[in-house]
Amino acid sequence: MDREHEELREVVRRYLAEKSDLSGMRKLVQTGRFRDEAVWSQLARQLMAQGIAVPESYGGAGYGPVELSIVLEEMGRSLVVSPYFATVALAGQLLTASADAAARQAWLPGIADGSVTATVAIGDATGEIAADAVTTVATRAPDGWRLTGRKRFVIDGTTADLLVVAALADGEPALFTVEGAAEGVRRAPLPNLDPTRPLATVELDGAAAHRLADDAADLLPRFADLAVTALAAEQAGGAAAALEMAVDYARVRVQFDRPIGSFQAIKHRCADLLLEVESARNAVHAAASLLAERDPEGSLAAALAAAWAGRAYTRVAKENIQIHGGIGFTWEHDAHFYLKRAKTSEMLLGTTGSHRARLGALAGIRGAR
Amino acid sequence: MTGTGRAIGEHDTREHEIGANETDEQFRARLREFLSTHSPGPRPRDPGERVRWTKAWHATLVDNGYAGPSWPREYGGMDLSFRRQIIYQEEIARARVPGPLGTGLGIVAPTIIKYGTEEQKRRWLRPMLRGDVVWCQGYSEPGAGSDLPSLRTTARRDGEEYVVNGQKVWTSSGTLADMLFCLVRTGSPESRQKGITYLIIDAHAPGVTIRPLRDLTGSAVFAEVFFDDVRVPVANRIGEENEGWPLARTSLGHERSAGAMNQAASYRRVLNELIDLAHERGLTDDPLVCDRLVEFEMRVRLIRYNAERTVSDILTKGEPGAASSVSRLLIAAFEQDLHEFAVDMLGPDGIVAAPAEDAVQRGRWLKGFLMTRASTIGAGTAEIQRNTVAEQVLRLPYDPAMPPR
Repeated sequence: MDREHEELREVVRRYLAEKSDLSGMRKLVQTGRFRDEAVWSQLARQLMAQGIAVPESYGGAGYGPVELSIVLEEMGRSLVVSPYFATVALAGQLLTASADAAARQAWLPGIADGSVTATVAIGDATGEIAADAVTTVATRAPDGWRLTGRKRFVIDGTTADLLVVAALADGEPALFTVEGAAEGVRRAPLPNLDPTRPLATVELDGAAAHRLADDAADLLPRFADLAVTALAAEQAGGAAAALEMAVDYARVRVQFDRPIGSFQAIKHRCADLLLEVESARNAVHAAASLLAERDPEGSLAAALAAAWAGRAYTRVAKENIQIHGGIGFTWEHDAHFYLKRAKTSEMLLGTTGSHRARLGALAGIRGAR
Repeated sequence: MTGTGRAIGEHDTREHEIGANETDEQFRARLREFLSTHSPGPRPRDPGERVRWTKAWHATLVDNGYAGPSWPREYGGMDLSFRRQIIYQEEIARARVPGPLGTGLGIVAPTIIKYGTEEQKRRWLRPMLRGDVVWCQGYSEPGAGSDLPSLRTTARRDGEEYVVNGQKVWTSSGTLADMLFCLVRTGSPESRQKGITYLIIDAHAPGVTIRPLRDLTGSAVFAEVFFDDVRVPVANRIGEENEGWPLARTSLGHERSAGAMNQAASYRRVLNELIDLAHERGLTDDPLVCDRLVEFEMRVRLIRYNAERTVSDILTKGEPGAASSVSRLLIAAFEQDLHEFAVDMLGPDGIVAAPAEDAVQRGRWLKGFLMTRASTIGAGTAEIQRNTVAEQVLRLPYDPAMPPR
């Protein structure tokens, strides 16, 4: 990896260690907040993190999936409570990929400078990014479009200023922007396993919408690849951090007069977990690089990264608790937050199973879908 | 032990004379051209014939300056930059030409190059590279496997000779050996790593007995080697007496990592063949079969990504990172699981063995299922590998009950 990439990783890691570590996460979770205001604005102003993958012409840094995946790996490590993923990795990447210049101009500068939060709502029932999972209906109105439907599993959906929503217009999937505060938008928190990332159910009842000038059937597959790779980056980072947590503890926890990490039962487990983590990180890097180059292999690599990183994260998070023993089962210890984030993330934007099926189909394993 | 002490980029200024100013792609083209015009032809069926054919091919490579990609040129090598070593490995794999006999090139040659005397290098290296002399390994013993430092084959000094007694086992291609590179005990029985000497033993010397070792597959690719008062000149010792242990794991630059990409490519081929077989037999209608194939599809790609990352770490940082240390574990588990799944997928047909006419693909998957038991045993068991990864990469503490390393 480039030296520049290593530097980016260092800068983000150092910043988060200082300003947004696990204790910061815990405070936000306990007070029910969705972000730390100071961290959000420093990320935007000092690190230009919100604009990392936004083109320079819209005030961003003009990088792409590779650099974004580095930031997300680091955020995944610290379990940062923030609408960053929804705003930057989801809505930001979707709008950047959109052919609708007016929409890009309207929203990307705000995303890049941190003044706007946003999210996407594609598959109605599951949150999967697939045209055939869209059931919300769009109807024409004199001044635009009106959307009606019910979107579940919308990440940071209760607070987002902007929603990019998929709906059926004349029976065909299409994409729309809807303002979070618009009339006819009812948003409710969706209580779920992961306390570190709010999910919402968004009811659209004739909500006013602007239609993006894109063919959703073209744009959604590309966006799905970018989105699941971004999530996989976060998962790979979380998995790496959970393994470090386990290893750090195994080095110092003494039983039978020796550190438990000197027992092969622990050592071998950690070595196996390292294989999972390294594989996940490699898969994310491969997918992000191929997507950045618009290589035809990108979709397959994205499905692989998503399928592998999701499962790996959950496995490492479970083993982290096991290696900690009793203390790992307490609320007071942070290990459970990784497990909750991991298992929840396996269900967002498609499941491990759906990524595997897609990979099989793309790899030409007949009957895999 | 890795690294030659010089930066990767330093090689680039002194490439092969023939192509002093050629680009990487011109180098590739020249090599490919050579391999296709000098192809050794089809592999002979008769084992004796096959040995002669293999030796002739390696002599051709050396004589034309296309052998020993990582070796210094003065001993017949090419002294290629790491990038070109990868190209070399890719082209060799693509040409499907026979690999070397014995295990000398990868294991003892780097040791001789780094620690041998000038006289030893001149005497041994070129004939080894040409295949004139086949070198095999004598490290493991019946009582010293994972705990190799406990080995008990002794070498007693007697004037300008050592007298060697003991037994080695798991010597790959041992029945073809002309020379044996061995670890022997010159210190006290309890001296462990501090009493081990690196000794080169003539396989045809009086007192050396080499017996094929039939393994669980029914064939004999390994041998047992017995030493009964074998006299070995002191001039055959590499390094100092009792200082052989650290020499045993010498490698040249990152030549092993250069081969990792090929391994990835060859497993890609094997998996494709299995997927084709599944399609041919209509087995991909079964979602359980498909899901397993998807699992292998992911793993074969992860093996390639891992190899790519090892290569890029070496090119950018000068050292292979964590990626290289996990690659053996990834590959060993993959090949075991893949072959067992192939047998399972075929159902009862999976256990039909050659020479039965209806053995699927002449029983290759079944044979692979057996053969790959060795993947997690040979060259350090998977358990030892995991210890190494845990201790060296994750920095977990050593087992206090184990002898110091």
